[in-house]
Amino acid sequence: MRLKGIVQLVAIGVVIAVALTLTAVLLQWLPTSASEEFDRIQGVYWFATVISICIFSLVTAVVIFSVWKWRVPDDDDADGPPIHGHTGLEILWTAVPAVLVTAIGIVSAVVLARNGEAGNRPLEVQAIGQQFAWKFVYSDYDDLASGELVLPVGREARFTMTSVDVIHSFWVPNFGQKMDAVPGIETTILVTPKRTGEFAVVCAELCGLGHATMRAKARVVTQQEFDAWLREKAA
Amino acid sequence: MAAGEGGVTATHEPAVDTYPAHFEPQPGPTRRLLFGPGLVRGGWMALLFFGLGTLLVCALRWWWSWEPVWNTEVVLAVAAMTLAPIGFLAGIGSFDYWLHYVSGRPTRPEDHSGHGATSWRDYFRVNTDHKVIGIQYLVTTFFFFTVGGLMAMFFRAELAQPGLQFVDSQTFNGLVSVHATLMIFLFIIPAFAGIANFAVPLMLGAPDMAFPRLNALSFWLLPIAGVMFVASFLAPGGAFGAGWTGYAPLAEGQPLGQTFFNMGVQWAGASSIMTALNFLVTIITMRAPGMTFWRMPLLVWANFTTSLLVVIATPFIAGSQFFVMFDRILHTSFFTPDNGGYVLGYQHIFWFYSHPAVYIMMLPGFGIVSEVISTMSRKPVFGYRLMALSLIGILVLGFSVWAHHMFVAGMADWLRVPMMITTLLIAVPTGIKIFSWTATLWRGRIHLNTPMLFALGFVTMFVIGGLSGIYLGSVPIDIAASDTYFIVAHIHYVLFGGSVFTIFAGIYYWFPKMTGRMYDERLGKWHFWLTFVSFNLTFFPMHYVGLRGMPRRVFDYDEAFGDVNFVITAASFVLGASFVVFVYNMSTSWVRGPAAGSNPWRAHTLEWQVSSPPPIFNFDEIPQVVAGPYEYGVPGARHAVMSPAREAEQVHA
Repeated sequence: MRLKGIVQLVAIGVVIAVALTLTAVLLQWLPTSASEEFDRIQGVYWFATVISICIFSLVTAVVIFSVWKWRVPDDDDADGPPIHGHTGLEILWTAVPAVLVTAIGIVSAVVLARNGEAGNRPLEVQAIGQQFAWKFVYSDYDDLASGELVLPVGREARFTMTSVDVIHSFWVPNFGQKMDAVPGIETTILVTPKRTGEFAVVCAELCGLGHATMRAKARVVTQQEFDAWLREKAA
Repeated sequence: MAAGEGGVTATHEPAVDTYPAHFEPQPGPTRRLLFGPGLVRGGWMALLFFGLGTLLVCALRWWWSWEPVWNTEVVLAVAAMTLAPIGFLAGIGSFDYWLHYVSGRPTRPEDHSGHGATSWRDYFRVNTDHKVIGIQYLVTTFFFFTVGGLMAMFFRAELAQPGLQFVDSQTFNGLVSVHATLMIFLFIIPAFAGIANFAVPLMLGAPDMAFPRLNALSFWLLPIAGVMFVASFLAPGGAFGAGWTGYAPLAEGQPLGQTFFNMGVQWAGASSIMTALNFLVTIITMRAPGMTFWRMPLLVWANFTTSLLVVIATPFIAGSQFFVMFDRILHTSFFTPDNGGYVLGYQHIFWFYSHPAVYIMMLPGFGIVSEVISTMSRKPVFGYRLMALSLIGILVLGFSVWAHHMFVAGMADWLRVPMMITTLLIAVPTGIKIFSWTATLWRGRIHLNTPMLFALGFVTMFVIGGLSGIYLGSVPIDIAASDTYFIVAHIHYVLFGGSVFTIFAGIYYWFPKMTGRMYDERLGKWHFWLTFVSFNLTFFPMHYVGLRGMPRRVFDYDEAFGDVNFVITAASFVLGASFVVFVYNMSTSWVRGPAAGSNPWRAHTLEWQVSSPPPIFNFDEIPQVVAGPYEYGVPGARHAVMSPAREAEQVHA
């Protein structure tokens, strides 16, 4: 009887976990990664997802199992057993989550540090937000200014951001990196594009009436195409 | 002390007639209507104070030759949003006792005429009875819940397809901002205050709150704040549209409506702080004999910790909004970069309140769920002491995590990892609570009625909200997911699947105690399942669109998200409709539900040992507390020694 109950409980938990795992894997929850930084972020995401599925399945399984097993009719007037607690269990469910979140914390801190390490001579790009458009200035190339963001593939770019009016937020969903452009201060973020293509630059911080339309195009191209684009722009 | 024929309220005769008849001459009916405390005097005094404020502003501006003499924003801030509410409060009689005292006139001896309610009119005056105030809170907050919910359905309709259909972008931003502001400041926070107002003094074995007049005043500040938020739609330029977060410098460039937010938050915040002080003093000083801290029900513990959070944190949001208003009106430059202001300063001050506010909006719900799960499982709360200690753990840790809202804000880099660690650690006390509730269910005798359904719905949904909180606590994931619909999903799993579910659980659980009548169980279950399913259909897909790249607070979005948003909108309408079931059930049951009896759940806590609704002063004799509150299954165990409840005379089956 006891064993049967445990088997049933585990079965419920496994069914939930499998259903969730399928949902997590079969649906495309994340945009295609176009940067090395986002690859690492996606690693943390999957690590957290595995832990989350386990915890959610455990709690839900116990709730469903208990209700199914020990539900009584409305007119039942007996009480359950007077169990006030169990020190061992309480220590266990304090310690295990502490270990799990510490693990997530360590993985996150490592990824954060790696995503913040600028390599040798990154491409310097200033991103300037203004209601409701972006301006990108290439400081390495005579402060060439452009409304379109063009980056060479495989070369690390360091964005230095500021704003001339209110707070905006520079975000390319496929790069996975995001940072506010704040008036009065400069903020930075690194992106190493790893895939050519066209992506959207989205303003992610409410900046006023045109916030939803504050978008720009980001193009990741080969180094040759990038050089050609620079020459064409400079001309 | 014979009970009157018509009402429960007649158990104590007012002591008025022990004073000489000439003590205060009785005015005629017209005089009493115009000059006696009440809504009529509140109305004309609000107008009077508004006029005085306008005169003051214009006279001072004229005196110093400031052009123009008429400045709408200043007049609104001073006359309409500061002085008129004070006039209203004085008019309804909030300050009568104090004014008599400070002006040296003889104070009226406390005749308890402000206690109890014999007709619906008594709910529309300054009433000092904590039970009446609790119901005033709940009805008011559910009114604003309805208003905020309709706004949500309105902008969901706009979001059903990409592009602009129904509203312009300022209105859209206004709807989103006012929706969030109402739900937070006029629903979740004060609804918990309402439930606690009703239940906490009863659970402690106290006759009322420590400061009944202050309690009445803190309630009446609330509708003022609510009216201000909603009235901002009438302001030239539209409602405040910088989000409920009101980030500077965007908020400083907003039209007039923003001032309504700056000032509304002051009134709602003052209400919160006064209530919290009242709870603290009540819980510390008014416990019945034998009610040690370790014998207090967890709802009381939860409100104790919540009140500490409110008292410490709320002044910070008041400060942040004053700074913004000063920048707007007095041309200071706290947050304007041109004159050396520090933009990120706003966010630090704002979140130093608004993160603890998340726990202000959650801990009372933890308390409610502990009561419901223990009673309905017929088992003691598993690990009672650790449950109370984990509340304190959340209280302390809650003050050290605010900057996790600012991982992409451009704040100092070194602050991110420490804030991430404290944020993730909050999962530990929260996890203790979740696991202890599930362990309380284990081997219980589970009554799956409406409060229990909402409590269990809460436990499962809150786990989702907690887990998405872990994603957001991790800095790298937060950098990708911040400011997207993933955040919207997370906040609604925490505040709707979390707080709102617990509010519903609490309302159903204490409804028989508040009204003396039973709600309709079948409708209650319909309400739960409709809400539960449509809630998940509304908010779960938001995780998806958010991660895929849809930012929050936009009226227009990428075509690719059109289908999912259509599903979300359809589900949100079902969610809105499910609330109609609740309102119908509550209003009809309140009028003609079957009599509930004093203790329909056979609970052990003190509020269930008195009649439903409770007598005017709660306890005819002071209870003597002899054991813990959840001794289910212990043979012969009692929480307190007192004579059995007399049934209330008011309710006839």
